[in-house]
Amino acid sequence: MKDTVIKFDNVTKKYKLYSSTRKRLLAIFFKGIKYKEKVAVDNMNFEIERGESVALFGKNGAGKSTVLKMITGVSFPTSGDITVKGRVSALLELKSGFDQEFTGRQNIYLKGHILGLSDSEIKALEETIIEYSELGDYIDQPVRTYSSGMKSRLGFAINVNIKPEILIVDEALSVGDNAFKQKCQKTVNEIIEKDNVTLLFVTHQTAVAEEFCKRGIVMKNGKIVFDGPVKEASQYYKTKYNPPKKK
Amino acid sequence: MSKISEFFKGYADAFTLNIREHKENMTQVLRLSVADLKKTYTGSALGWAWAVIKPVFTIFIYWFAVSIGLRSGNDIGEYPYILWLIAGIVPWFFMTECITGGTVCIRKYSYLVTKMKYPLTTIPTFTNLSSLYVHLVLVVISIIMFWVMGFAPTVYLVQLPIYTILMFLFFNAWSLFAGMVSAISKDFSNLIKSVNIGIFWLSGVIWNIESVADNKLLKVIMMLNPVTFICYGYRNCFVDHKWFFEEPVELGVFIAWYVVLAVMSLWAYKKLRKEIPDVL
Ligand SMILES: Nc1ncnc2c1ncn2[C@@H]1O[C@H](COP(=O)(O)OP(=O)(O)OP(=O)(O)O)[C@@H](O)[C@H]1O
Ligand SMILES: [Mg+2]
Repeated sequence: MKDTVIKFDNVTKKYKLYSSTRKRLLAIFFKGIKYKEKVAVDNMNFEIERGESVALFGKNGAGKSTVLKMITGVSFPTSGDITVKGRVSALLELKSGFDQEFTGRQNIYLKGHILGLSDSEIKALEETIIEYSELGDYIDQPVRTYSSGMKSRLGFAINVNIKPEILIVDEALSVGDNAFKQKCQKTVNEIIEKDNVTLLFVTHQTAVAEEFCKRGIVMKNGKIVFDGPVKEASQYYKTKYNPPKKK
Repeated sequence: MSKISEFFKGYADAFTLNIREHKENMTQVLRLSVADLKKTYTGSALGWAWAVIKPVFTIFIYWFAVSIGLRSGNDIGEYPYILWLIAGIVPWFFMTECITGGTVCIRKYSYLVTKMKYPLTTIPTFTNLSSLYVHLVLVVISIIMFWVMGFAPTVYLVQLPIYTILMFLFFNAWSLFAGMVSAISKDFSNLIKSVNIGIFWLSGVIWNIESVADNKLLKVIMMLNPVTFICYGYRNCFVDHKWFFEEPVELGVFIAWYVVLAVMSLWAYKKLRKEIPDVL
């Protein structure tokens, strides 16, 4: 039986580019202000089933992050339909998924609340998350004092521990060290097996993707150019876009 | 024909969505408002005291400038100028916070828009609520000040919540509109910052618009200003001892303004909701 949790139906996303923010402001009130369009996602169609782990490959600007943002529901398609079933927990381009002024602990609560958990549910997870993140005393310091690796740890710790149904990770691991990466990999594999979580994963390190995922999608200029087993996808991506280095 | 009904349906949908987002996220909104309050004041060196010191200091400056500097600031009715000033400037502190702060609220909380799925319409609500808490503390302090200076609260004070609620609703609609527009472009918040100073001087916050009462037309125009309406509404409660229904025209005009603003904010929502995450 098919249990589709994510479905893209002719999804297109166009970004409007104005030559200045003043033009963008004027365009709110007046018609006919000129702008250019960037087609970031071009008429995409795909389905992902429950429990699948999918890696998205593609060069910079291929449209990977745009796809993930639309699945998360923070960004909207220009046309087409997106169906998403289940609670999405997303780590989008880490930079600032946190309130910079809040401590790590306060951010755990904030994020939990926004995902619809109650105080007691979060309290039950709090220690696990803190331990998992290995932040020690820094958990009570404002997030702006964290290094990017620390932010990624906290983000990851929160997102895998709040029992997501769909987990989205956009390059968040590229700043984590190897030990942490391995730990993440173990957890992700666990929750996929045990809780039937669906994973969508973006990274430029194909080796990492191969360990996390079973299926791979290669994007180019907002279109899917390959969709299949992750090994083949990463091979396709590597040979097409990163010609092997000459020894 | 169907175009017209579609047009209205668009607004109705935006409106119900706005209400629903608030209903479903009430506890979250309250939590974030408290968090916003903490963040504003625990960051400053004086901490919580700053919430009171800053307005007291500002009041003192204006009082000094008007009473001592300009040798103006006569008693107004039986009330000394300083009390009259307090009654109108306390709501102004809230309004100016909303006019400028509301304009940047969505930018300030951009991570709620770009990194997670959060109901956008509630962002101005919780930032304004955070200002409202400070406002309520200042109102209580004002009442005590009046009392200490020999003016016990009168029955007219019971209508104060009406003005407070009108003020809050009005500026919430404003913040939603302005917050979204300035999310698209920073230029807008710069514009509003300078307009804000103009509003302050034109609204009779520190000088009495009764002094232009000779010029009927001018006074009428001034009372059409929603900021003036609220300032003098507060003064109705504290010093002028008038009921809100004694000035039906002013009230009607204020409500008309509110409807205009509310429609503008729904219009902005329909137009900009999808664009905002791409721009922030
Ligand atoms: N907010 C935005 N406004 C305008 N253009 C954008 C915006 N976000 C992305 N784009 C454009 O859309 C295209 C796809 O961007 P996207 O971020 O999805 O790429 P990506 O595949 O995630 O790249 P990377 O590997 O660098 O993360 C790019 O050309 C980018 O310039
Ligand atoms: Mg990206």
